[in-house]
Order: sequence, then structure tokens, then C-alpha cells
Amino acid sequence: MSIGPRVTRRTALRAAALAGLAFVVRPASGAPDPEIALAEQLFGRAPVPSDRLRLDMPAVFPNGYTVPLALDVDSPMTDADHVRIVHVVAPRNPLVRVASFHFTPRSGRARISTRIRLAEPQNVIAVAEMSDGSLLLAKTRVEVEINGCA
Amino acid sequence: MAAPEPRVRAPSTAAKGEIIEIKALITHPMESGLRRDGAGKLMPRKIINTFSCRYNGELVFSVDLHEAVAANPYLEFYVRAEESGTLEFAWHEDGGAVYTARETLTVT
Repeated sequence: MSIGPRVTRRTALRAAALAGLAFVVRPASGAPDPEIALAEQLFGRAPVPSDRLRLDMPAVFPNGYTVPLALDVDSPMTDADHVRIVHVVAPRNPLVRVASFHFTPRSGRARISTRIRLAEPQNVIAVAEMSDGSLLLAKTRVEVEINGCA
Repeated sequence: MAAPEPRVRAPSTAAKGEIIEIKALITHPMESGLRRDGAGKLMPRKIINTFSCRYNGELVFSVDLHEAVAANPYLEFYVRAEESGTLEFAWHEDGGAVYTARETLTVT
């Protein structure tokens, strides 16, 4: 059950182009960051880069069909303070959404490992939605040698 | 396609409050809907789109999976052991099929 509209590379590129336009209109907002702009388009608000969210992937991996991905968020995972969701996005895949992981205080720990497909070398993005409503962002560059057509 | 086969590895016992690691995998091609067959026709999308883990009936962890999750989707995650009972796992496939697995946990 996917959340929200199906996001294609085309809509993602359009968002990046619009973000560039926003930069022209509002130069005070700082340098445009394509990952933050894409996350804002997908999740409604701009996330803040944070060391509390760690996205661990190999910098170079031979096979784009099955690239290891681990993520971990520093959080006490209590009712008052926990991670709700972590989204993973691959901006240069034909379909940019990869997966969304829904945690609860009963998870105990906001940490997962899985394997994903990457269609080409790119910056993979993770966005964590925290129980206080804040959005955290982490990204990591992955070079794949055989492209895994997603 | 062979019938998808769920596999789970979880501890059978844990101390109260312990955070246990669970490994869950299902054999599945995760057909993305972007590939063409030998005749050049797009092959319809058929993926596992949702995974859930319930602990004595309560949803404790779930995942929305999209086309870019690798074939034979593998998930390693955590659950806090609170009381003895069952862990139920469900994989939902496009088209409505659901594959399940269950493990018993004894909390001491």
C-alpha cells in the first residue's frame, strides 16, 4: 500500500527544476540541495540533515540488483519520543520511492537492514519522520557497476 | 513462479525488555512492471507491497515496499520483548494474496 502519488523520475526532475526556480525567487533560502528539494516534494516539508539518522551503504558495489542498505536512528523509542517512519528514496531510479519503514515504541530500536535495486550510480536518501513532527535527512553516494533496472 | 515461501529467524526466548533481532525473507521475484518479456511486452507489476509484524496482535513494525526492493525481499528489524506470546508476520502481494509466518516467543 503505497502512500501518496506514484513518483517517477520525471516528476522528481521537475521538482528539482522547481527547486532551482525557488532559489532564484528566494535567494535567502541558501544553496539549492536537490535531495532536500526532492524530499520536500515527496513529504511536504524540507527535512534537516542530521547525524542522528545513519544510512549505511557500500560506496561501490558491483551489482545494482541487490545493494545492501542499513539504517539506524538515534532515538529512545519511548511513547513520547520515537521514530515513526523512515523513507528511502533513490532519486535516479525510474521510480524513486524504495521503501518506507514504520516503527513503534514496541520496535525498541529504529534500525533495519535490507537489499535494494539501484538503476545507476546516485545519492540514496533516507528521511526520518520523528514523533515530534521533525524530519531528518541522511544521504549516501553509491556507485553501482551493473545497473539494476528497478 | 514457484509459490512464495516465507522464512523467519527469531529467538524463541528473551528476557523482559530485551530488544530482539528478527530476520524475515520471502522468496519472490518482485516483478517491477518495468521489464519487457521476449516479445517486447511489459511484464505486469507483481511485488510484495507490504510487510507487517504483529506481537500478540499489536502492530509493532511494518514496511511499504516499492519496486526497488530487491528480489527475495529481506528484512532485518527489532522488537522489544514484553510478554510471552506470538509474533505474526504477513507479506501482502499485488493482487491480494497474503503469505504468513508465525513464531512463538517465551519471555522470562
